Amino acid sequence: MEILQEYWPFLLPLILAQLVLLITALMHVLKHQNYRFGSRTLWIIVVVFFQILGPVAYFVFGRGEDG
Amino acid sequence: MNHYIVFVKKELLEYARTYKLLVMTVVFVIFGITNPLIAKLTPELISSFVPEGMTITIPEPSALDAWAQFFKNSQQVGLIVLVLVFSGVLSSEVAKGTLINLLTKGLSRQAVILAKYSAMALVWSWSVVISALLTWVYTVYLFPVDPLSNLVFSIFCLWLFGGFLLAVLLLGATLVRSNYGSLLVTGAGVLILTVLNVIPQAGKYNPTALVTKSMDLVAGTIGLPPLYASLGITAAATLALIGLAVLVFSKKQL
Repeated sequence: MEILQEYWPFLLPLILAQLVLLITALMHVLKHQNYRFGSRTLWIIVVVFFQILGPVAYFVFGRGEDG
Repeated sequence: MNHYIVFVKKELLEYARTYKLLVMTVVFVIFGITNPLIAKLTPELISSFVPEGMTITIPEPSALDAWAQFFKNSQQVGLIVLVLVFSGVLSSEVAKGTLINLLTKGLSRQAVILAKYSAMALVWSWSVVISALLTWVYTVYLFPVDPLSNLVFSIFCLWLFGGFLLAVLLLGATLVRSNYGSLLVTGAGVLILTVLNVIPQAGKYNPTALVTKSMDLVAGTIGLPPLYASLGITAAATLALIGLAVLVFSKKQL
């Protein structure tokens, strides 16, 4: 807990940034049917369990065309 | 000119809509925050892994370590994310056929390429600036003031190298139809440049000098003049690559 108290000015924005990325990616996965590859289950797992990299990978590789 | 500005705006909107802006911003914000933090915590982490009874001396981390993290992260993962995010810059629109409509309505092909490059460069500039600012703020917060030299110049070199990569990427996108073609061209370009460093005298002129010498610059072991040649060549090459991309794209069958 000590480290939390000392470094909260770092950890808070970090966690926020991660959450923003995670939530936008998750919403996108859930709202869309088409992915460039992979299934909805795969992308949910990737987005939720791989911090930062998961959502980035989804937006770069997995996101299908809108529509 | 008018077309150009309209198309830059359209591109930026598109980047916001396709989450490119979000990905770049969040990744570089996270870098900005973690750079000083990692520099600060690394000695503590190492000492917590050292077995009882063994003593190792770890030098006290300094602002220099935080900036070393900044350059390492932006030059490796940062540039990779940049190139990946923009890899489909032209191919997706060509594949969907949305560009043809605009072009037949009188939008010039030159404007398309220039606007695309400008919009990408804007996003890249924004990412570098926000990451550098955050690193700076948190470094000042965590570390005693350290004499750093040429910091802004070194960041400028990093920025210019990113701009150069974007020009390679854009030319790649005009040459190759597929989404991953531009990536391949950029990867090959970087590989060739890296291999060229084997030639003893080439290093000085190589664009890669802009990103390999960053910490020497900041630590003050070298001054600005050794980088002038590389700077000039990178700037000229970037312009030439954009020009070439315009040429290739105007001759291209869509």
